[in-house]
Amino acid sequence: MKIAALGRVAVAAAIASAALAVPALAYDGTNCKEPGVCWEPKPGYPAKNEIKGSKYDPKHDPKEINKQSASIQAMEERNKKRADNFAKTGKFEYDVSKIGN
Amino acid sequence: MINLRTSVSAFTLAATAAVGLAATTLPAFANDKLVELSKSDANWPMTGKNYSAQNYSPAKQITTENVKQLKPAWAFSTGVLHGHEGTPLVIGDKMFVHTPFPNTTFALDLNEPGKIDWQHKPKQAPTARAVACCDVVNRGLAYWPGTGSGDALILKTQLDGHIVALNAETGAEVWKMENSDIKVGSTLTIAPYVVKDVVLVGSSGAELGVRGYVTAYDVKTGAQKWRAYATGPDEDIKLAKDFNGKNPHYGQFGLGTNKTWEGDAWKIGGGTNWGWYAFDPDTNLFYYGSGNPAPWNETMRPGDNKWTMTIWGRDIDTGEAKFGYQKTPHDEWDYAGVNVMMLSEQKDKQGKLRKLLTHPDRNGIVYTLDREDGTLISADKLDDTVNWVKQVDLKTGIPVRDPEFATRMDHKATEICPSAMGYHNQGHDSYDPEKQLFFMGINHICMDWEPFMLPYRAGQFFVGATLWMYPGPKGDRQGFEGLGQIKAYNAISGKYAWEKMERFAVWGGTLATAGDLVFYGTLDGFIKARNSKTGELLWKYRLPSGVIGHPMTYTHDGNQYVAIYYGVGGWAGVGLVFDLTDPTAGLGAVGAFKNLQKYTQMGGGVQVFSLNGKNPYDDVNVGEWVGKGG
Repeated sequence: MKIAALGRVAVAAAIASAALAVPALAYDGTNCKEPGVCWEPKPGYPAKNEIKGSKYDPKHDPKEINKQSASIQAMEERNKKRADNFAKTGKFEYDVSKIGN
Repeated sequence: MINLRTSVSAFTLAATAAVGLAATTLPAFANDKLVELSKSDANWPMTGKNYSAQNYSPAKQITTENVKQLKPAWAFSTGVLHGHEGTPLVIGDKMFVHTPFPNTTFALDLNEPGKIDWQHKPKQAPTARAVACCDVVNRGLAYWPGTGSGDALILKTQLDGHIVALNAETGAEVWKMENSDIKVGSTLTIAPYVVKDVVLVGSSGAELGVRGYVTAYDVKTGAQKWRAYATGPDEDIKLAKDFNGKNPHYGQFGLGTNKTWEGDAWKIGGGTNWGWYAFDPDTNLFYYGSGNPAPWNETMRPGDNKWTMTIWGRDIDTGEAKFGYQKTPHDEWDYAGVNVMMLSEQKDKQGKLRKLLTHPDRNGIVYTLDREDGTLISADKLDDTVNWVKQVDLKTGIPVRDPEFATRMDHKATEICPSAMGYHNQGHDSYDPEKQLFFMGINHICMDWEPFMLPYRAGQFFVGATLWMYPGPKGDRQGFEGLGQIKAYNAISGKYAWEKMERFAVWGGTLATAGDLVFYGTLDGFIKARNSKTGELLWKYRLPSGVIGHPMTYTHDGNQYVAIYYGVGGWAGVGLVFDLTDPTAGLGAVGAFKNLQKYTQMGGGVQVFSLNGKNPYDDVNVGEWVGKGG
């Protein structure tokens, strides 16, 4: 009796450890590589840095994804001209083409 | 309870003493004037009424006893349709009213509200409308009281990306700057926020792959003081040297790029902030949340996608982040984390008095953090039907996900709660400091979700998911009603004092008053008042259209008024507003709200109430035209 019971416990333990060995079955957010880095791929899906070249490759065009920073830089430059001119003259001018150097 | 109140008073006294000291040793900052203004029942000078963003008024002329006598006093049509979000500001004798696109601003004379003192009607490129994800709404105005050398200003954002300062007396433009570029899908719907002598401006456009940022401008000149991004290198995100020093397990440095993103995906990674702010003069930090990562298709952006979906505490002078807690790592449901931040001082479970912030998130969790260092105090479900997460581990801060309700390519996930519209959205809620209860307007909507691949083209939508949304388990899934709830919540005990169902999502937020009342507007066109102790419905009034803003209250000439915008729209109203019928249109909102049109149509205006409708025109001669002959 005693031995049989122990055997059942052992089997249960084996099942439990098998489940632990495949955490990818369940990306539950709790297995962290380092603080704040806890993402895991779902079973059958590419790992990080393996999306490129996979069937889920977003194929981002570098020209497209750099458009935002270029636009922001241009707005910041125009705004600076407006603010500097406002500070200098006391009169606000939005149209930068009317602001002298 | 007595002990607690005593401690709270002691805390307040200490804070007052500190402010007093500062006032005697330093030149008064404009924000001190705003603090002073916000203390008076006569004013409502910022979103949330004061820097604690409690939407709470100590005014108690209107009470549970007499609320039945609340009647319309006067009204004003804005002349614009579409969603009217936010709430008007009142400073002294003036009410400042804002509208959706084209973002007209009106100043009304409270002694004679039929008189429009001035209006500012900007000319904007109509193409701005094409890149607005969720109706052409705007969440409000900000007020800067002026200094000796500068006149008081009204600050406004425009859908086309401009931040504009207007002379509060005349409405004349003082300065106007470009914050967002509609050519790359970047718009503005957020209300500006004034702290000291800077104005904060958020961002919109995560549905078009816009990388989020918050910017501070010198309120007097419009010069940019600093700008902080949600993703990318640490210097762009502006992390303080001791960022998350108290909670290193939240993650600290170098996480905004390829540790939590693949390649350059962070450059189009979303994380815009279009919700609300709060500020604490003692910590010098302002608080807000960053939005969802882009695109909605999770398979296209492996990683935790930091620092989208994060509660931030940033220094107002430098913009540097002292703490950041990511609520939804690697979002798979569009739980844009931009919701309201409400500040309070309460004793935690160990009896320690803490300075807190409470934040009901889209993901169905209401978070309470220590606002001095970001330590997690509580994280409770807004409703027991939330299923994407089993619980939030308070020690690690990690949400324990239930893989059954995850989303992924080549798979249609079903019965996910909450839906992308969240169990809570943009509504600005309230907190009653006496009762220590938060009154929250809640959504009860779940969804099916299937992602698809799509390219990124600047200026075009970058969503990549098809959604079907419907009432949650407690609603009527056949009749498509029962999509909302309103609840009273204690952030320390995690208990709900009361819960009530609503026909539609309670989208606009709530107002609490010392008269033991909680006011809110509904999508089906009512303003309602409930007993804030019991939740009992005490009064309602049928407005011309549904409500997506929050009520406010002010006292003028000894009378307490309650004001609210009407004008249905926003995400919940897109089907009605744009005449859509495909249930998956409007990012899935059309199906969920297909019955809205049976109860309301578009509108736009302010409705003001008082006891027995008392108002400046009770003297019928007020405002009459008098000819030369008398």
